[in-house]
Amino acid sequence: MSLVGDFLTRWRAYRKPGYIYGDEFDGARRDYDEFDYAWTMTIDLDRCTGCEACVTACQAENNIPIVGATAFAKGRQMQWIRIERYWEGEYPNAKLGFIPMLCQHCDAAPCETVCPVSATYHNQDGLNAQVYNRCIGTRSCAVYCPYEVRYFNYNNPVWDAPLAEQLNPDVTVREKGVMEKCTFCIQRIRQAKDHAKDDGRRRVRDGEVQPACVQTCPAEALIFGDRKDPESRVSISMNDPRAYRVLEELNTDPSVIYLKKVDDNAG
Amino acid sequence: MSVSIVPTLRVLTPVGVLLGTVFVGLVFGYWANAAFFPGTAPQQPINFSHRIHAGEFEIPCMYCHTEARRSTSAGVPSISKCVGCHQSVATERPQIRLLMDYWVNKEPIPWIKVHDLPDFVYFPHKRHVQAGVECQTCHGPVETMDVISREAPTEMGLCLTCHKEHQVEFGLDCLTCHK
Repeated sequence: MSLVGDFLTRWRAYRKPGYIYGDEFDGARRDYDEFDYAWTMTIDLDRCTGCEACVTACQAENNIPIVGATAFAKGRQMQWIRIERYWEGEYPNAKLGFIPMLCQHCDAAPCETVCPVSATYHNQDGLNAQVYNRCIGTRSCAVYCPYEVRYFNYNNPVWDAPLAEQLNPDVTVREKGVMEKCTFCIQRIRQAKDHAKDDGRRRVRDGEVQPACVQTCPAEALIFGDRKDPESRVSISMNDPRAYRVLEELNTDPSVIYLKKVDDNAG
Repeated sequence: MSVSIVPTLRVLTPVGVLLGTVFVGLVFGYWANAAFFPGTAPQQPINFSHRIHAGEFEIPCMYCHTEARRSTSAGVPSISKCVGCHQSVATERPQIRLLMDYWVNKEPIPWIKVHDLPDFVYFPHKRHVQAGVECQTCHGPVETMDVISREAPTEMGLCLTCHKEHQVEFGLDCLTCHK
């Protein structure tokens, strides 16, 4: 292989772990050629009402600390999924739009390449994994994330008396100095895989995994599934002509796909 | 004119000794915790002997720890399981009387967990039991122990070595075990 060709393959491997590199490439960091699952979420902005039920559900499911007023004033609040508001036009024709913003699980994630200790990496399910035990808190990933969805624990989390009783035992309580972000509810994915294995199945069926935000959304704006399965709800939904990805020009290849809001009054 | 460093060192010596002592103390304190000594065992509320039950009488592990094959946690048997046999077996022994006190008062026995994995580890017993992993691989020769102690090093190395050896599918991925 020529020097240039090798360089390109290596660059591709560096940028897109998990994709096909060719047989002769021995520098591959993984022992698989393509993703096992490719977990994807579509968010229909036409259905989103900005009710923040997903935010609350995520907070409860993933033991996300409530930082308190002082930290909030410093901009240290933590929400793995948050609702961004957009105002368009001038009064009286102002329009309000919502975009739920969560970790996009980019297949070419900028955060993964900068972590000095490989605490964040791409795994075989197309998930952008965050290993809390490895994280040393350099916060480079948060700087490189174009979506601003990584959150740093500036303090040890504190829950007032009865609230500590509702912590989810399937999720680690992160401590001070650790970066965290949306995991696509990895604990639920893991549980679904376990159930599938109990039933003697190799793969999880469509609809068996639902992250907390998807489960909670009253308008069913969020759909979650495996885009490798052409029959899955998410595959059908992501082929909608309204589909787009946020900051697509950055080539991060996100796994979260938004369906554009249709404006009845436009044009 | 020459400047000597000796007076400065003389002042710093006690500080150095102090820091050195603290450092040695920290290192020793770190290693001398309960987890470092594999043989240590907590005093359980009842002197239950696995040697008698699992060793001599050859009761299968799964008879009492029934949940191991279908749940993430192996589970501690309820008192009714103990009483099921012991209302007619060895009723006069002092330890069995202790057990019956809990039974009569309808209180759970406050067993102390010996094989306690950190909270960030996901270890489903069912996956391992269904795959045919012997309990003794991680728990040591329980059927020979009067008092349960942590014999095998239940650390990440043990998990990874075994996963590698048996070529577990995606068994080396961090998210397989870390949660």
